Amino acid sequence: MKIALRFVAVAMLLAMPAILAAPPARAESTLDKILKEKKIRVAIDVGNPPFGILDKDGQPDGSDVAVARQMAKDMGVELEFVQVPSTGRIPALLAGRADVTIASISVTSDRAKTVMYCNPNGALQIVIFGPKSIAIKTPADLVGKRIGIMRATLEEATVPKMAPQGTNIVWFDDISATIQAMLSGQVDAVAMTSFAGKTVADGNPDKQIETKLPVTTAFYGPIVRPSDFELRQWINTWLFLNNQNGTLASIYKKYTGLDLPQLPVF
Amino acid sequence: MNYVFQFNVVWDHLPELFEGALLTIQLSATAMALGLCVAVVCAYGKSARPRPVRWVVAAYVELIRNTPFLVQIFIFYFSLPVIGIRLTANTAALAAMTINLGAYASEIVRAGIEAIPHGQIEAAHALGLKRLQIFRFIIIFPALKTVYPALASQFILLMLSSSVVSTISAVELTAITNSLASTTFRSFEFYFVATGLYLAMALGFRAGLSAIYWVVFRRGRAA
Repeated sequence: MKIALRFVAVAMLLAMPAILAAPPARAESTLDKILKEKKIRVAIDVGNPPFGILDKDGQPDGSDVAVARQMAKDMGVELEFVQVPSTGRIPALLAGRADVTIASISVTSDRAKTVMYCNPNGALQIVIFGPKSIAIKTPADLVGKRIGIMRATLEEATVPKMAPQGTNIVWFDDISATIQAMLSGQVDAVAMTSFAGKTVADGNPDKQIETKLPVTTAFYGPIVRPSDFELRQWINTWLFLNNQNGTLASIYKKYTGLDLPQLPVF
Repeated sequence: MNYVFQFNVVWDHLPELFEGALLTIQLSATAMALGLCVAVVCAYGKSARPRPVRWVVAAYVELIRNTPFLVQIFIFYFSLPVIGIRLTANTAALAAMTINLGAYASEIVRAGIEAIPHGQIEAAHALGLKRLQIFRFIIIFPALKTVYPALASQFILLMLSSSVVSTISAVELTAITNSLASTTFRSFEFYFVATGLYLAMALGFRAGLSAIYWVVFRRGRAA
């Protein structure tokens, strides 16, 4: 009896590595999980008009939000918004708090090192804008000026490269602090999307805010975690269909007032 | 989750992180010294005869202790320019930290003062010491000694809450970490290292504050 027990124990010990090392039948993909739980978690940034904002009832709104709603509807799953600040758009995805981030993330090769882009669903332009009293006509005029930019944005990746030596770049964590810094005169001008610039200019007519310099134009698209190929493929398929039927264009037109440019695919 | 940690990126940027940590230390140490001065002056003001002085001190302490630090920082950085006072991000941060610490520390100092036996003060009066002399030798020195541990932990809290000043573009450790995390997309790694640096700074400050206690209160006594 005792010997038999000991034999079983030894056999189990010997088999342990094999049991632990045995691969699971097939790892469940994020797309499987979404379809099984009937819920997709989408990270959005509601501090970035006109892509993501809160409407007067405090509900998420904006072009990114409209895209996410339509996507979840067509997928036939419940939509759960994960509201993140601009700096949290990629970390929230990587930490598994969201399945996909739809927050006007411009396509850059640096970001593509950590996340996977789906095809673009819109385009934006980064400009430097400021009060009329500040004279900025060429990039050389930036010398000695204090330029506010927001972290974790396309501005952060592009403005330091175009600004000549001697430009004082001042970093902020969110869009409201950046804009407030310009309105209170703590910085001379800010770099942001042209849409944000228009919102600020319309909201503060007394400051006579005008566009000073174009910085760059970029396409933005949803991002997923690296290796979530199934989900990316589904989203790309959805983007293709809704680009064809005009849904993407009508959402873009509704929120930005502009016609959607021809969207490239990759 | 199959996340691959890459700490190499962090080591490449260590000098920048140290620079940020240095500003955190400078801001905190200066705010500690100035804040303690504010606290002692407030404690003196609270024991002052004229009622209005006491009211002003009480109003300051209540206002600061019952409003968020973040809002106080915003007032210094975003609102003061409207009335023509333009502080740089670092100055605004230092001012807000000093004012904030002053209010909290003055309550701690007040507790120490209340712990001084009344007979001790009466004895000083009887010996003919002047008001300021009594405050200096009989009240504040023993009071500070009594509440030193509480003050020390308030100082450490201040150092930790200095991370908030990154929101007004002061480039201390949290700001540098945010920037590096957002440009390299290695947020886990950078925040881990920043956590370690904050822990090291807190322990360092604790050791330094203990040394100050020993020099000021212990050695002085033995002599």
